[in-house]
Amino acid sequence: MVLYNFKKIAVVPTSKDFIDFTLSKTQRRTPCVVHKHYKISRIRGFYMRKIRFTQQNFHDRLSQIIQEFPKLDNVHPFYADLMNVLYDKDHYKIALGQLNHARHLIDNVGKDYLRLLKFGDSLYRCKQLKRAALGRMATIMKRQASNLEYLEQVRQHLARLPSIDPYTRTIIICGFPNVGKSSFINKITRAEVEVQPYAFTTKSLYVGHTDYKYLRWQVIDTPGILDHPLDERNVIEMQAVTALAHLRAIVLYFLDPSGQCGHSISEQMSLFNSIKPLFNNKPVLVVANKSDVVRIEDISEEDKELLKPLEENNIPLLSMSTLSEEGVSEVKLQACEALLAYRIENKAQTKKLDGILNRLHVAIPKPRDDKERLPFIPDSVWIKKLAKTKAAANQEVEMDEDEEEEEDEENAPKLGKKKKKKTERDIEMEMGDDYILDLKKNYDLPDEYKYDIIPEIWEGHNIADYIDPEIFKKLEELEKEENIRDEAGYYATPKIELDSTIEDIKKLAAQIRERKEIMKQESRIAATTKPKLPRTSTASARERSVSRLKSEMARIGVDIDEKAKDANYKRTRGRSRSLSKPGLKRMRLNSAGDSRSMSRAPRDKSGVKDPETRLKLKKIAHKAIAKKVGKMGLKGEADRFIGTKMPKHLFSGKRGIGKTQRR
Amino acid sequence: MPQNEYIERHRKLHGRRLDYEERKRKREAREPHKRAERARTLRGLKAKLYNKQRRNEKIQMKKKIKAHEEKQVKRKQDKVEEGALPVYLLDRDVQSNAKVLSNMIKQKRKEKAGKWDVPIPKVRAQSDAEVFKVIKTGKTRRKAWKRMVTKICYVGEGFTRKPPKFERFIRPMALRFNKAHVTHPELKATFCLPIIGVKKNPSSQMYTSLGVITKGTVVEVNVSELGMVTQAGKVVWGKYAQVTNNPENDGCINAVLLV
Repeated sequence: MVLYNFKKIAVVPTSKDFIDFTLSKTQRRTPCVVHKHYKISRIRGFYMRKIRFTQQNFHDRLSQIIQEFPKLDNVHPFYADLMNVLYDKDHYKIALGQLNHARHLIDNVGKDYLRLLKFGDSLYRCKQLKRAALGRMATIMKRQASNLEYLEQVRQHLARLPSIDPYTRTIIICGFPNVGKSSFINKITRAEVEVQPYAFTTKSLYVGHTDYKYLRWQVIDTPGILDHPLDERNVIEMQAVTALAHLRAIVLYFLDPSGQCGHSISEQMSLFNSIKPLFNNKPVLVVANKSDVVRIEDISEEDKELLKPLEENNIPLLSMSTLSEEGVSEVKLQACEALLAYRIENKAQTKKLDGILNRLHVAIPKPRDDKERLPFIPDSVWIKKLAKTKAAANQEVEMDEDEEEEEDEENAPKLGKKKKKKTERDIEMEMGDDYILDLKKNYDLPDEYKYDIIPEIWEGHNIADYIDPEIFKKLEELEKEENIRDEAGYYATPKIELDSTIEDIKKLAAQIRERKEIMKQESRIAATTKPKLPRTSTASARERSVSRLKSEMARIGVDIDEKAKDANYKRTRGRSRSLSKPGLKRMRLNSAGDSRSMSRAPRDKSGVKDPETRLKLKKIAHKAIAKKVGKMGLKGEADRFIGTKMPKHLFSGKRGIGKTQRR
Repeated sequence: MPQNEYIERHRKLHGRRLDYEERKRKREAREPHKRAERARTLRGLKAKLYNKQRRNEKIQMKKKIKAHEEKQVKRKQDKVEEGALPVYLLDRDVQSNAKVLSNMIKQKRKEKAGKWDVPIPKVRAQSDAEVFKVIKTGKTRRKAWKRMVTKICYVGEGFTRKPPKFERFIRPMALRFNKAHVTHPELKATFCLPIIGVKKNPSSQMYTSLGVITKGTVVEVNVSELGMVTQAGKVVWGKYAQVTNNPENDGCINAVLLV
């Protein structure tokens, strides 16, 4: 099904805006820096890109406009005709056609200037050519100013047209101005059409929706029509005519028998006859409105005479009043019914229905003789049925009695009547404010358990999953079994006697376990592979040593013989030092002494007065160094490692905002 | 579902916002300040455009005010003399024969001298380097005897290119034009007319023979569409026109008819 949405058409800019948008887009979206010392091919490319971009933008925007506006040949004839009435088909087509032509011209300009640019030999010439090209495109668009303006107005009006679906169930209301068409649509739908006591309040089509039989019905209110030839009708009337001509719907022709609208019944009937060709192949209802003023039965004989032809043509005449709402719903109901019947009838005539009907087949066998073959019903069913009917009869009797003697209620069940169950509602009514809803009393449990609190979930388990109706039986069995086992001495633990040796062993084992645990943790600490940044703590001392081994072994109770010859722990590396004696100091012979070279004082001693300050300074220096080393993750004081000497991001590309060191 | 003139309807039913008028008045009062702010802050091309537009607006405004003022003032009208010609009959049949004769003589003299009183008498000379691009040929691109014309040219209809080996001058298809926008100086109207030939390119005789069109070139155009008639009553179909723009920069040829 085609549904038209004219609200989605994009805004059509004025020619000035059009040019401004496109040119500024070119400015924004294409590169804007070029210098004359660039290679000429680069300069050419730069300007070519601008021309091509502008041309493409003009082209796209124009194409979008041309495409979005509905093609009069493609839309439903109702809409085509309505648009013809409202906007003039020729004008509309010419406007779109000219836009199409402008698009073509712009494409050509773009093409021509691109060709010329290929021979541009200087920046100046290229620039002039670009300028000329854009200028010519803009001029072409400037000439489209009136077309664009017209299309924008059409777009705005199109968007405000009521969205009428030409294919759905539709009720069209028509008639002279001021006969109550709009008040009727206001009564049966939620459309808020303006109602005023003068002619031509409604100047265009209005649509509303109503429900009947769970279906959606589209109700169209049309402007009033006057009785004159088609070519004299104005735009307002023509809208009504297009709706009547192209929509397959039921037509409600409104009459005003009171003549308050300013037209007599004879005039109204002559209009009806003159627009009758529009009702061809459509169900029609004639509605006499304003029955609160004049009833259709009360009109004069001559007028009744005028309404005769309606009866002859089988056109129903209804009366109603939108003021007193008398007969409004009947009119709606009848209209809907008539349209439904008409549509079904229409559908039945189409070829599609045959296809569906062919699939259905209802077989009716021919009777082969006069014998009657009733369906077989077993006797038991008959008996049951009989009993049921009897009970029902009894109940009826009982009901009659009930009214007479109410105190006999206690005996009712005996007589076969079902006792009415006391519902919670009854109880509530009885108790009033004291009532508390109690659902637990209906539980199928012994009374002692009924009010036990049962959690739904207990320790993460759904209680309902563990319900076992035979639990008590099972429990009893289990207990019995246990008793037997207990008596047999199955659970009695043998007594073990503890002597001193075993106690010692236990103690030792505990010690070993503890030690093991400690070792495990230590090894875990030592085995971390994660980087250790701060080096504030002192280096850990060597753990393994002979003395430690000794002490530990002693603790466990193993005596280590230090003098054992081949004990491997004893073989430690000695410090290498020459064993020869140092040379003796020569005696100084002259008192003044020779000038002797002195090695330079170590750096930590130089310029320091006494060892105390030296120590102090050393501490300070050490702290400072440790701080720096720890902070920067260096290996030591001498570590001057720089990760990346030339970080790429600082030494490449143009220098934009920021500093040399940080960007 | 809003349909048709729902905005107007809503206004009719419920009116506008209570402070609508006040807001409107204030917005209007703010407008000059906003405009001033804009004029102050705009820079560059936008400022130029804005100022131009604003200037035009002001001119229009002043004109309007003046027109209104003039409406109120009553003017005294001069009395029309008896037998005066109405405006629409002026300039009819006043061309004297003498003028025609003198014109003819002038024309003939000019033609003899081969000089024309042209709108652009002095034109910058175009050097060969500007007009021609050297094209290197030969297997090693050593030869440089070939030239390509880089200006707009007119190439006659019957022209056939020589074989490439002998073609000294190439006139690219993209640069060939055969129409010009010719302005009639008296009619003040412009027509797009076909070019018949290049009469003279002031820079060089060679350019004339090649059909190079630059600023100041005199071209012959087909004016048969204009329906001009000579003194003798013959229809003129070819007339000279001088090119007034730089066609290679503008992508079109503008010319003034030499009458």
